[in-house]
Amino acid sequence: MNLAVEVGGIRFKNPLVAASGTFGYGVEYEGVLDLSRLGGVVSKGLYMEPRDGAPPPRIVETPSGLLNAIGLQGVGIRAFVRDVLPRLRRHDTALLVNVCGDSVEEYAEVARVCDGAPGIAGLEVNISCPNVKKGGMAFGGDPRMTHEVVAGVRAVTRLPVIPKLSPNVGDIAVFARAAEEAGADALSCVNTLLGLAIDVETRRPRLGFGTGGLSGPAIRPVAVRMAWQAARAVRIPVIGIGGIASASDALEFLIAGCRAVQIGTANFVDPGIYERILADLQTYLERHGMDDVNAVVGTLEYPGLPRPCDERGPGGLA
Amino acid sequence: MPANRIAPLLDRESLGGAFVLLTFRHPETAREARPGQFVMVKAGVSAEPPLRRPFSILSVDAARDAFTLFVKTVGPGSRSLAAMAPGDAALCLGPLGRPFTAPPAGEEALLVAGGYGVAPFRFLGEELRRTGGRARLFYGGRTAADLPLLDRLGGLGLEVVPATEDGGVGVRGLVTAPLEAYLDAVPGRARLYACGPEPMMHAVARIAAARSLDAEVSLDPWMGCGIGTCLACVVRVQGEDEARWKYRCACTEGPVFDAARVVWPGEDDSRARRAGGAGAR
Repeated sequence: MNLAVEVGGIRFKNPLVAASGTFGYGVEYEGVLDLSRLGGVVSKGLYMEPRDGAPPPRIVETPSGLLNAIGLQGVGIRAFVRDVLPRLRRHDTALLVNVCGDSVEEYAEVARVCDGAPGIAGLEVNISCPNVKKGGMAFGGDPRMTHEVVAGVRAVTRLPVIPKLSPNVGDIAVFARAAEEAGADALSCVNTLLGLAIDVETRRPRLGFGTGGLSGPAIRPVAVRMAWQAARAVRIPVIGIGGIASASDALEFLIAGCRAVQIGTANFVDPGIYERILADLQTYLERHGMDDVNAVVGTLEYPGLPRPCDERGPGGLA
Repeated sequence: MPANRIAPLLDRESLGGAFVLLTFRHPETAREARPGQFVMVKAGVSAEPPLRRPFSILSVDAARDAFTLFVKTVGPGSRSLAAMAPGDAALCLGPLGRPFTAPPAGEEALLVAGGYGVAPFRFLGEELRRTGGRARLFYGGRTAADLPLLDRLGGLGLEVVPATEDGGVGVRGLVTAPLEAYLDAVPGRARLYACGPEPMMHAVARIAAARSLDAEVSLDPWMGCGIGTCLACVVRVQGEDEARWKYRCACTEGPVFDAARVVWPGEDDSRARRAGGAGAR
């Protein structure tokens, strides 16, 4: 049974990757989990400098979901490379850095630092965080800015570049194509949905920042739809993200055309979820007579549309 | 090292009202937990509700590989826990967080609990008795119904001083009143420990600072992961050599903090700085 997938030049030993912001820097789980069982880990978002993040409260539970405004608190890319990366590298899993910036120049600067650091498999470019005043979603909400940031990062690194797209847009295909044209190797789809929860007693937002990003099973159908639309719009591979908490959830994204998936909010419920999903994924593939997880990618039978893999040739390989 | 595993419920005991004692099998927590530490737990193994909840450890029983939680049902997470039956599975990560610091030899430990905040103090009381320390628990609530553990704290060698706002049991008034009266009446050093509503912990922090006593508080913000990855449970805390407070995770750098270093709501800077180091070590 082959579970390994290749996404934009990165080999993941299996298609399950820990999503940025839900797994810290990975090392927090040393001793609790066997990190080498994960296909990959995406770091917490990193700017050039350390960041305080948003005022608390920073999370609120909503029906089948989680609304957060952490505000990209982080140690900065240099401290990550110096203090965290040497430890994290000891684990046999693909390490991606989530690259943030307040400007195109800062994204490129962070990418440049990563490019010179051993042990980083790829860069996820965060153009979709809803919880910062500058940067973040401002870049992911305008296709020209998306192009500019991705091209800026592309120009300074040989590492695979994977923009993380926002769901808070009308037509994600436009953004997917803009990123592809700018030289992206793959896409992460999608970040959190912009939301607002109100405390009716105080009549104030329940989060310190005000609005927040919604994640968890509540957003899964939206995320599957947008990942599917993105996958149909480009020839580069897509990593599906949004409310995955079971093998069946992961399979929805794979069938929709994603070559790998990221697990986010479910890490909080059970960081050991990877073992269960891997076991159930293999059971599914066996039951469907498949010996390679790649065989299920893009096999959606959508009324009136050709199968995604038929559009792209055998196996759905781009 | 914390362990993430399924923890079967061994015993369930209702204390009446919203309160229940739940005993889970979780060997790592039973063996390694220290007073003041906590576990992240949820009923069942599904993805709903999306978050586990943090609970202070009430007591451990190493012989049974078990620990006990004191749970007050306030929302969906605690309600589903309280509805568990023996044999049901919970998802548990623990033991987690920074424990209480033991008082120096000869110093009395004064524990101040507001209602449900009594949870970590049974464990601390047991530890203090084991190590031969002197301890006194000021246990306050609005009414007697808020003190369901009152008759279960015997045998710990703890002097328990109850206080209720309606005078239903113990001293009438806020729990800080008998604490201050005791500090006025009894000379000698004491170390304060507080857990309860934020205004109560803030009041204990002020009392400690005014008397140059060390105090620790156990904070209880909303938590996502319990292990320092989500950065949701941050509180404003000022380090010893820092010019300014920083957001620190209550799950990994707390939940127990030096009260003098906490920047309480409405404050711009920590007591330690403004008071010129009172409470600093």
